[in-house]
Amino acid sequence: MADYFQEMGWSPLAEGEAPNHLLHLVRLFIDYNMFEELGETQRLPPPASIEAVNNLPEVSINEEGKQCPVCLKDYEKGSSAVKMPCDHLFHPECIKRWLTKTNSCPLCRHELPTDDENYEAYRKEKIRAKQRVNDIENLHNCMFS
Amino acid sequence: MANIAAQRIKREFKEVIKSEEVAKCAIKLELVNDSFTELKGEIAGPPDTPYEGGNFVLEIKVPETYPFNPPKVRFVTKIWHPNISSVTGAICLDILKDQWAAAMTLRTVLLSLQALLSAAEPDDPQDAVVAKQYKENLEMFESTARHWTNIYAGGPDLNKDFNDKIRKLVEMGVEEHQARVALSSYNWDLERATEQLFS
Repeated sequence: MADYFQEMGWSPLAEGEAPNHLLHLVRLFIDYNMFEELGETQRLPPPASIEAVNNLPEVSINEEGKQCPVCLKDYEKGSSAVKMPCDHLFHPECIKRWLTKTNSCPLCRHELPTDDENYEAYRKEKIRAKQRVNDIENLHNCMFS
Repeated sequence: MANIAAQRIKREFKEVIKSEEVAKCAIKLELVNDSFTELKGEIAGPPDTPYEGGNFVLEIKVPETYPFNPPKVRFVTKIWHPNISSVTGAICLDILKDQWAAAMTLRTVLLSLQALLSAAEPDDPQDAVVAKQYKENLEMFESTARHWTNIYAGGPDLNKDFNDKIRKLVEMGVEEHQARVALSSYNWDLERATEQLFS
């Protein structure tokens, strides 16, 4: 039999570890749709973490006629561009300014990590909730199809 | 105005002028001043909607921090729609608020607004009265929206019954637009609209 913690995707508290009350609060908020009511989802997600931004690779542009989606200017041949994990390219100064406002790619909304603990907890819990729904559906299909 | 904003609007302006939507007369963009801070947009009402045949004028204000912040857009042409204020023309659309992204352009904004006219979201209303009518009496909403398109946006469908009711109120001394708002809000019930106007 699968272990209870494993089934829920949780891990038991280590010896002497206190429960994470912040996480519990976030869970409660999600279960009762309180983030929506508080207008949390109405707000732009927080800026990308400084570390993640500094670690973005730079590539040099060799073709002509490509343009940066933020300022719409053509790249000069041989100039460098920042490459997001989703493979989208931008002028370094354009994407860095955008990422100090919010954490996602201006083209496809691929999210970078943030330095905001609350937002990270919220995001993690949202992914987990979705995973749980999938798991339950899978289980249901295994049993009844 | 910051250099990057003005330069980008210039580029976008060229892009819109060349776009196929302009060729099809679906959208239009004009400069209001030389500094590229204010523009006038125009969208055609989409086919198979109560807005078909109408032309809707938009006021577009470009902030200094564009494209890192969205442009401020509102309807100048009066319109009956759950997500657009029938009083101020203010628009409730996520990409003009928290869902804005720096790679969006005036062209994509105009096309999104056109899409909003085809697919209203009554659960996220800007105008509560219109949204309520949309949910409770869709047919009534559609004829009201069609009537507003006829009067304010040059739409083709003339509604004689509605016009007669408005004339009756105008004859009693009510201003025409005020009469139209009252009747539209009370599902064209002349008695209730009169009661509300004179109470």
